[in-house]
Amino acid sequence: MNAAKENLWKAFRGLVLVWIVGMAIGETLIAWGINNWPLVGSVQARITADATTYLMWQAVAIYVLVGGAIVYSAMRFRASSASDAVIPENQKRTWAPFVVTWLVLAIGINLANTIYPGMVGLEQLWAIQMDTKSPLVVDVTAQQWKWTFSYPKQGVTDVSQLVVPEGRTIDFVLRTKDVMHDFWVPAWGEKKDVIPNEVRHLFITPTALGSTATNPMLRVQCAMICGNGHPLMRAPVKVVTAAKFKTWVSNNSF
Amino acid sequence: MATNEMQAQALNETGGGKTSFAISMLFPLFRATLWGLTGYFAAAWITAALLGSVIVNPLPATVGYIVGLVGWLMGSGLWEGWIRRAFGGAEAPAYTGVERYFRFGPDSKSTAVRYVVFNVVAFFFAGLAAMAIRVELLTPDSTGWWMSTIHYNMTFGIHGLMMLLAVAASVIVGGVGYYLVPLMLGVRNVVFPKLLGLSWWLLPPAAFAVFMSPTIGGFQTGWWGYPPLAQNSGSGIVFYVLGAATLLTASVLGAINIAGTMVYMRAKGMSLGRVPIFVWGLFAASTILIVEAPATFTGALMDLSDMILGSHFYTGPTGHPLAYMDQFWFLFHPEVYVFALPAFAIWLEILPAAAKRPLFARNWAIAGLVGVSMLGAMLGVHHYFTAVSPARMPIFMTFTETVSIPTGFIYLSAIGTLWGGRLKINAAVLLVLMAMMNFLVGGLTGIFNADVPADLQLHNTYWVVAHFHYTILGAVIFTWIAALYWWFPKVTGRKINEFWGKFHAWWFFVFFNCTFFPMFIAGIEGMNRRIAIYLPYLHGINLFISISAFLLGAGFLIPLANLVYSWRRGEKAEPNPWGSKGLEWQIKSPTPYIPFPEGTEPEVVGPNDNYAAGSKEPFVWVSTPSK
Repeated sequence: MNAAKENLWKAFRGLVLVWIVGMAIGETLIAWGINNWPLVGSVQARITADATTYLMWQAVAIYVLVGGAIVYSAMRFRASSASDAVIPENQKRTWAPFVVTWLVLAIGINLANTIYPGMVGLEQLWAIQMDTKSPLVVDVTAQQWKWTFSYPKQGVTDVSQLVVPEGRTIDFVLRTKDVMHDFWVPAWGEKKDVIPNEVRHLFITPTALGSTATNPMLRVQCAMICGNGHPLMRAPVKVVTAAKFKTWVSNNSF
Repeated sequence: MATNEMQAQALNETGGGKTSFAISMLFPLFRATLWGLTGYFAAAWITAALLGSVIVNPLPATVGYIVGLVGWLMGSGLWEGWIRRAFGGAEAPAYTGVERYFRFGPDSKSTAVRYVVFNVVAFFFAGLAAMAIRVELLTPDSTGWWMSTIHYNMTFGIHGLMMLLAVAASVIVGGVGYYLVPLMLGVRNVVFPKLLGLSWWLLPPAAFAVFMSPTIGGFQTGWWGYPPLAQNSGSGIVFYVLGAATLLTASVLGAINIAGTMVYMRAKGMSLGRVPIFVWGLFAASTILIVEAPATFTGALMDLSDMILGSHFYTGPTGHPLAYMDQFWFLFHPEVYVFALPAFAIWLEILPAAAKRPLFARNWAIAGLVGVSMLGAMLGVHHYFTAVSPARMPIFMTFTETVSIPTGFIYLSAIGTLWGGRLKINAAVLLVLMAMMNFLVGGLTGIFNADVPADLQLHNTYWVVAHFHYTILGAVIFTWIAALYWWFPKVTGRKINEFWGKFHAWWFFVFFNCTFFPMFIAGIEGMNRRIAIYLPYLHGINLFISISAFLLGAGFLIPLANLVYSWRRGEKAEPNPWGSKGLEWQIKSPTPYIPFPEGTEPEVVGPNDNYAAGSKEPFVWVSTPSK
């Protein structure tokens, strides 16, 4: 059996070409996808959506680099036929420049991701919570299978529709009467489990006006399996201007 | 005796009994079913009568399950094969012929074959549940003619639990691993053969109970079993808890065997550095099960205790459901590494033989496998970032992201192996390459769930559903089928049909991606998990997903037909069809009952992945020194 000689540097040039083309196609598709992003309706949603979109750019880049290398080397270095008995000349068990580059990149990307978008995003989310002087307090009660909302400072109790003003930070105080639920308004970019025997807080600053009727992303949706009524455990949401909110409060308080 | 001479040597004395199949050999199966069902109904009825209750209530169902399980095990041959001797009776003889496939026994090869059969059956029924889920989701409304939301919830719960614990947990570890571990390590059997035999017989009653859970009221919790919903949504949760605990027990019994066999029973000259990479992968998975399973077991049984004994660990005014989540995910996050690490190791076992290159950066790959299993114990909290206090978020985010570093070593090793080789792409290798591409998507999308800000939005949406199907179905199941194809000649002495193998590989790859990639988009668009009814704006994407899912599901009949047909009629395989240097291929195919005869044993004299032209064989056969 004779060994087959390959010029591996020449092969690498082909891989670089695959990377460039793949990167161009992949990142263009992601740019198009991010351009068509669903409603980002709160300050918090901006933070979480930025984290997600950043990771998408990065994921596509890594996918092209690693996946491109797999596909390219499987095709470039394939045997000529099933009965091909040629033994490749390259029998290296390791090659330090490749291993070291891989290690440095893997550790570097991980550290970078922990800092941004991980810690930076958390810091921003927590900062809103810490800096809010007088949030609008909304008591949220979850039970199988409905949501009820109360505005203790406004004297509005037990309404089934969530009406909130735009631009003001809201402190949702989450309680459940029975099993675990999860308070989620998709457009607001964050969710929080509602746990029996515990009180949880979720801080949201809505920025987009609208209602469930105009955009279904604006709805309260239970996001934790809670029994057979789970899919319909929704509540309508209405984000209005501060002035309209005042009117709504005076019409609904007692 | 030089390598491969073993192939030619007549091994009739090791081949086991020459009996052919007779219907009477099914007797243990029949007796196990009879004793199991009788035990279940008798115990449940007596308990119900004593309590003035009915048999579908939780406590009678629990007692029934336990008695039924014992009855099934005794009937399967455990009584005369193991237990009777403890009472002073005689032990059953060792069955070496075809009958060993149908009864409890210490033979690891027949146990492994039974694992494959069990996994295929469980995969089929749990797959039907997936199809039922997709039929329901064809339309946004409740599709009342098909199933109610109650049935929908039961269906995805059964689908999830079965696919995870009855399929993914044992496809590679069980069917492939238990067969190959002794052969790859150069020994005749595993270290605790009867425990391994027992592990398989625990599976059928557990899976049957979970599938039958709707008959006693089903469960609404999905496969998580979170309290307090678990305690107030149907008695079926009893079968969920007991079934899951039984399946986990089976996994742990196997894990003890793999770890013990690797540590204590390696062939002469097989240093840890020369242990085949697949055994390293299984070892890494086994340590996870041995270390982490007890916490989750306990959690499941405390969940049950809250239901049948009136305790308040997780329920009631003093209960703490978060404690259940902590216990549950302590194993069940690393459990996905129990699925994935053996799959990674199979890639690295197959690729060197297919590319005729040594495994690149082998020590880094081993570090990757072991590193993932060690990190796995420290990151379960990322499954409920939405429930925990902020203090836990940065810690578990960092640990979870770190796990991608050792995972990356697997890709480093695989790409380095392919580079500059001469890859023969048969159906098995094609499936391995596709599994690598799918896992890449699954792994990269996992970073989003590890990153707390992104996860707070994506958690519990279809994003997560897509992510874990990419890792488990796209990588583990693809690799399982690849492994079945690759080692098919070892088990049956025949080859699978390459054309249909490659055809369905492409069929899977296309429709798998058509099914699960849109789920990422559905998740971003605000579709949450576990809902039978969704808003109309999500209809188009769900229709597309459902149709792709039906085509994907139907495609699984191709490998099934291929395996069954090739088993009977396939082309006869030469002894070492892939030109592998692995020790398992130095033994006659199909593997005799005793893989190599008494007085002879393999000695390892070099690395098992040296494919350089003119390199010496890694094993020699030496005679065992007499004691």
